[in-house]
Amino acid sequence: MPDPAISIRNLTKIYPIPFRRERLTAVDGLTLSVEPGQVYGLLGPNGSGKSTTMKILLGLVPATRGQTQIFGRDSSLVESREEVGYLPENPYFYKYLTGEETLLFYGKLCGLRGAALRERTRELLHLVGLEGAADRRLGGYSKGMLQRIGLAQALVQEPRLLVLDEPTAGVDPAGSRDIRDLILQCKARGITVLLCSHLLGQVQEICDRVGILHKGKLVREGELESLISIENQTQLIFENAPPELLARFEAEAAACGARLVEKSKPHATLERFFLEVTR
Amino acid sequence: MSTHRLFSPARIGAIAGNTLLELVRQKVFYFLSIFALALIGCSFFMGFLQPELQFQVMKDVSLGAMSVFTWLLAVLATAMLLPKDIEDRTLYTILAKPVPRLEYLLGKLLGVLVMLAISLAVMALLFAATLYIKEQVTLAAAFAEARPSTPDQAAEIARSVKALTFTWSLVPGIIAIYCKAAIFAALTLLISTFASSWIFTIVISVAAYLIGHLVPIARAYLLESGGSWASKGFLTLITLLFPDLQLFNLTDDIVAGNAAPLALFLQTAGMGCFYLAVYACLAYLLFAKKEL
Repeated sequence: MPDPAISIRNLTKIYPIPFRRERLTAVDGLTLSVEPGQVYGLLGPNGSGKSTTMKILLGLVPATRGQTQIFGRDSSLVESREEVGYLPENPYFYKYLTGEETLLFYGKLCGLRGAALRERTRELLHLVGLEGAADRRLGGYSKGMLQRIGLAQALVQEPRLLVLDEPTAGVDPAGSRDIRDLILQCKARGITVLLCSHLLGQVQEICDRVGILHKGKLVREGELESLISIENQTQLIFENAPPELLARFEAEAAACGARLVEKSKPHATLERFFLEVTR
Repeated sequence: MSTHRLFSPARIGAIAGNTLLELVRQKVFYFLSIFALALIGCSFFMGFLQPELQFQVMKDVSLGAMSVFTWLLAVLATAMLLPKDIEDRTLYTILAKPVPRLEYLLGKLLGVLVMLAISLAVMALLFAATLYIKEQVTLAAAFAEARPSTPDQAAEIARSVKALTFTWSLVPGIIAIYCKAAIFAALTLLISTFASSWIFTIVISVAAYLIGHLVPIARAYLLESGGSWASKGFLTLITLLFPDLQLFNLTDDIVAGNAAPLALFLQTAGMGCFYLAVYACLAYLLFAKKEL
């Protein structure tokens, strides 16, 4: 059986508060596992411990207690990061570098060189749709372009795990949809994704499994479908159904003891409407 | 199978190259134009002095300016590097790659050291070029005044003027200037690993510069006077923590015509390397435990 992409066991992180006796427990006994190929949404209000968990997983912050592993390797070891790509919340990157130089720099950090690195850079610029802006400095990039180059740098060494902290924060709906599509492409390639986001609609669209953190504790966790579906209700959507047919359905349902909970016309999402009018 | 190397000069080179590019694109080399203007101004406004004195003052002013400018560049360029990477979260993206913290710090330091070497080399070239132009002007004036009748007389005049200009004996003094700046780059990097702001880092670095020049006085006081155990302990700590910056001032003697003995030069360079290594190691020890 393959190792889980992420394995977190009994993780606790306590921060001392300077000049006070109190301590802040950011993560409290967290245990979770993400299987290879899954898109896992880590949700929770601000200060719930999501970012701290990600930082511990990436070796940026040491854990007070517990273990974290990436594909079976202790995640505090530098070599475990060969398998990981990370996009932090609101990253700035180096403004003086062009998009291409940025990818070349991060590629070199991952041990890529020469023709292979140049080829990988071209491939990624194409993937994130920034071929036309490859020679522009990042100082002139829009927020959406920065997130896309950020995603490209996270993918530079072809990692098996992608850790994304609020990847669409501050991005307009079109840019947000582009990033969502890129995450889905990664999923299609078999890359495991740990996603931290406040945009629950987007999480619902792309995640297979979610965990909800609250005050450092994992309060709910499971397959998205099983968490949010209402087992004793069924939804039918008709097109061009005459009123008589609907009346017959209602009568039949009532005769069988079923209760009609809601009768309404489905709406297009505001996001889809916005994208249609701004296309 | 992991192909990760625990220590990779290539990764350090990538970070050093990027740091150098950052400094170049942030136009730190514009600093050098101020040096060039000071040099040109100095050579223009000394016409009323004797030629020997003109060369001496030019060397004094130029080498002093090179020392101050290189030190300033070292402190200002290094103070921003780490805090800016943390503030912009760029550091997260680098350390989330398979890059050990030691390599990150060494790369940053190496980038600054290369920038300082280029800056000092450019300043030394400007200095040598200005002295050469001055030498040609002085030679023409000396020939016009003395009107040498024999080749020997002409050679003698040329030799006496050339002895006043750029000589290889100045090079150890310039290397000592570099050593001092390199120590301060490492010290500034060390301070920036725990400082809360880059202004704090600069203030502490400037204080260290002043303390470094007072180390010989502290050492003399320690050796000569009794004093309390507390004051002795404090002064011992000062003399151990901070290098004696007066040792790096080889240029005064060289300009006065006394070439630096090889042993003294090697001692100074060795001291520079020692403090550079100590500060870099301390910076790593603090940075390795830093919660980001």
